[in-house]
Amino acid sequence: MAAPASAYKDRQFLAVIGDEDSVTGLLLAGIGHVTQPPDSQKNFLVVDSKTDNAAIEEAFERFTSERKDIGILLINQHIAERIRHRVDTYTSAFPALLEIPSKDHPYDPEKDSVLRRVRRLFGE
Amino acid sequence: MEGLLFNVNNGYIEGVVRGYRNGLLTGNNYNNLIQCETIDDLKLQLGPAYGDFLASLPPNPSTSTLAAKTTDKLISEFRYVRANAVGSLAKFMDYLTYGYMIDNVALLITGTLHERDTRELLERCHPLGWFETMPVLCVATNIEELYNSVLIETPLAPYFKGSLSHQDLDELNIEIVRNTLYKNYLEDFHSFVNNDSEMAGTPTAEVMTEILEFEADRRAINITLNSFGTELSKTERKKLYPSFGRLYPEGSFMLSRADDIEGVRLAVEGVNDYKTYFDQAGMGQSSTGAGNMSGGVGGDGKSLEDLFYQKEMEISKGAFTRQFTFAIVYAWVKLREQEIRNITWIAECIAQNQKERIGNYISVF
Amino acid sequence: MSGATNREAVFPTRQSLGLMKTKLKGAQTGHDLLKRKSEALTKRFREITRRIDEAKRKMGRVMQIAAFSLAEVTYAVGGDIGYQVQESAKSARFRLRTKQENVSGVFLPAFESYTTDGNNDFGLTGLGKGGQQVQRCRETYARAVETLVELASLQTAFVILDEVIKVVNRRVNAIEHVIIPRTENTIKYINSELDELDREEFFRLKKVQGKKQRDTAKQDAEMKARREKAEKAGKAEDDKENSGGGDILGEQDDTDVIF
Repeated sequence: MAAPASAYKDRQFLAVIGDEDSVTGLLLAGIGHVTQPPDSQKNFLVVDSKTDNAAIEEAFERFTSERKDIGILLINQHIAERIRHRVDTYTSAFPALLEIPSKDHPYDPEKDSVLRRVRRLFGE
Repeated sequence: MEGLLFNVNNGYIEGVVRGYRNGLLTGNNYNNLIQCETIDDLKLQLGPAYGDFLASLPPNPSTSTLAAKTTDKLISEFRYVRANAVGSLAKFMDYLTYGYMIDNVALLITGTLHERDTRELLERCHPLGWFETMPVLCVATNIEELYNSVLIETPLAPYFKGSLSHQDLDELNIEIVRNTLYKNYLEDFHSFVNNDSEMAGTPTAEVMTEILEFEADRRAINITLNSFGTELSKTERKKLYPSFGRLYPEGSFMLSRADDIEGVRLAVEGVNDYKTYFDQAGMGQSSTGAGNMSGGVGGDGKSLEDLFYQKEMEISKGAFTRQFTFAIVYAWVKLREQEIRNITWIAECIAQNQKERIGNYISVF
Repeated sequence: MSGATNREAVFPTRQSLGLMKTKLKGAQTGHDLLKRKSEALTKRFREITRRIDEAKRKMGRVMQIAAFSLAEVTYAVGGDIGYQVQESAKSARFRLRTKQENVSGVFLPAFESYTTDGNNDFGLTGLGKGGQQVQRCRETYARAVETLVELASLQTAFVILDEVIKVVNRRVNAIEHVIIPRTENTIKYINSELDELDREEFFRLKKVQGKKQRDTAKQDAEMKARREKAEKAGKAEDDKENSGGGDILGEQDDTDVIF
């Protein structure tokens, strides 16, 4: 039932998919991590209007399934909206998926996949 | 004496710039702006001043696009003035752009260091700091090539030469590189306004010296304050202080030895203005020693940086009381920049519902 | 027989009856325990969901403040620091640690944030101007991220508890609605089968007894008839045939009476 310890003991980073301001702020807080070359991987993705959904999905996939060192994935709500089907079907406990507000898009609890689950459970 | 021949070449420009200056938002305008409920309202209020430039904005634009559009207006006006400028004024205006160029080059250096595609960076560069050969810099794939092309292709070569080698670009923090360049730039600008045959001894030299000295002091103080707790050593720090200004040389020397805010305060004691700012910002007293770090949020006291901006605006405003001077171009650019910052700030406050801090803008008219 | 299909395939013997009774008892105890576990978890779960709701709202505010402090930086620096920050990020200063918490036998992982020392990628950002705002912004964002980490812990707990509660409830329901009725049905079935056997046996005995009684009655009657005949004969030849008394012991036809 409970995930085995190996599933999360190495998870020590946060990852973020967000717009430039959110990513900048979170990086300032010190969550940014770039792994050693040669295959240096960043744990953040800046999404702007030019980024296509496939790239977001790919990053989402990379942070949720491929990398085993990420404990929490932060994603801007309006970006989560763009890959909503993926976010809604994501149910694993690790990494935890958090939808965060961005500067231009205030937080809307109605859209949050977890909060919607909460609501559904209590029949609200 | 200078009045005799100034208008021959530069009278038109002066007139245009004074006209632009009158187009700046006044306290009254700002009062209207801070009443706005939405960005659209704000856009409407800005209509008379910015007109066409905001017309293409979508409804409820983001603050960054708003800032970009307002900057566009500054750019186009600046380009117009620059196109009409001749002789020393043209050179003066080129000097004005070097500051932005330094930022752009720093950006490109960062990109090259991390092996990014620097072409993407071009659109991030500040348009005022754009120079024709900039795309050439993007061809460089490693830092040594970049260094050489900067030396060859850009007007910044003198600032690199002598103080930075290509190894430095690789090893030093980009901020140190940037500030070294800026220091060289300020010194060069300073000597230019004081030694150029057309400007020496004119009101231009007088006003610009005041502005640049202030700028130099501000940078020295800021660098000192911001270096506490970082790996920047005192000797390295000392190298970043411009070698002129009201604090130079004694104040600079004391700054270079300062260990804490109190030390900075002692260093600026000699200049009354700065001393007042320190007192106003509540810095330096031992009780609120770290006040600049923790305080400020929610407090209505102005921070030191705010006071510096305020001072800069006042000097710029004062520049317009003089006639026959190029300094008004500089002052106008600075005033307009502050105006853009103000608009962005107000827009942010509106967009993020933080109305209580909306009054934090700086208006001098 | 009702529910004949809903019972276990056992032979209706006393031994399996005993087994079934033990099983029923076990199922009931298990049901009680699981029910209690489920209730404990649900309580915890509700508490967590409530806290998630609160935390999400709090996050909304905190992130807003943080975003605002970034706006202050943009104002003070007078430019965009985004790119520079992105490029100078090297090693995470802000990291996570996971620990476990035991709630009714379920291990809920919780995240804990910690900052590594001496790791300062952005110490010099805004050196020329805006440095103080940058520092302040970093602190604000660090606090915001802490809130996010807290929320992430809650949310992970939520996801895991959700799963666990579903499993537990499924078990409770299985025991309550399948195993217990089934066992009860089986017991009922065994009991009724055993009763049936009892009744058959009883009937058989009755039958045997009836037959026996009839047989005895018949013999009695025969004996009586013979005796009467003998008496009559005795009276006739009273002294001559006195030896017939030996038959009185009934050695010839007297069978045992079985009840």
